[in-house]
Amino acid sequence: MSKIYHETRAAEFETLPIFRQFIQQTCEEHLGVDKATIYDLKLAVDEACTNIITHGYADMNPGSIILSLEFKSDMIIATITDFGHPFEPSEAPMPDLQAGLEDRPTGGFGLFFIYQTMDEIDYEASEDGNRLTFIKRLSVEVTA
Amino acid sequence: MKITSKQINQAMVISINGSIDALTANEVSEFFMRQINNDHNKLVADLNQVDFMSSAGLRTLLATLKESRQQGGDLRLAAPQPGVEKILKISGFTSILKAFPSVNEAVTSFNSRK
Repeated sequence: MSKIYHETRAAEFETLPIFRQFIQQTCEEHLGVDKATIYDLKLAVDEACTNIITHGYADMNPGSIILSLEFKSDMIIATITDFGHPFEPSEAPMPDLQAGLEDRPTGGFGLFFIYQTMDEIDYEASEDGNRLTFIKRLSVEVTA
Repeated sequence: MKITSKQINQAMVISINGSIDALTANEVSEFFMRQINNDHNKLVADLNQVDFMSSAGLRTLLATLKESRQQGGDLRLAAPQPGVEKILKISGFTSILKAFPSVNEAVTSFNSRK
């Protein structure tokens, strides 16, 4: 059994705290989702949406972002859909974590955090939009 | 988002209340830069009330750290909460800047020679 929630908002930075609040509220409805998991989900969704707002809808009229959260007994599946320029996560560079202060890159951490916090990442671009799917596995079973 | 500053001994303590994301990072960055432009380059970022930080917040901290050190000062962090502490660790930031459990310890660290 699973339960799915959807939230659709404009692709603008003001949407970021609204999505975080949406994640907080839906997670709190499911006993057993711990604080660290909630933070990880907020972070991954925040970084992905920031990329969509900044790059996905660049040179276009800002469209919408649809966030869906599906709660299963052993995982949370977050799906982010947008209608901007496609973006291939696996082609983006990763930051050099060993670099000294002067050489330390100021970008690239967004995607890095997504890879660090999510268990599975899937990306699909089609005529129906770009769909980014994250799977976060849960260590304890939650109430779906 | 609420940002306040308070001088304690040699250090300027900047207390941030809220989330540091792509929406608010510029505001935080400008606040830090104003301190440095006013010759306050020994900075403590009090993160006790920061419930969320994304990579946009890290960029702000990194830019402030570089600027303060160029001016002969430093940026030190105080009281990061578990989620924020985790991203500081996995991004390797804890190896390039100092974080302390409390504002008091961060302020006092400027008194020592280290």
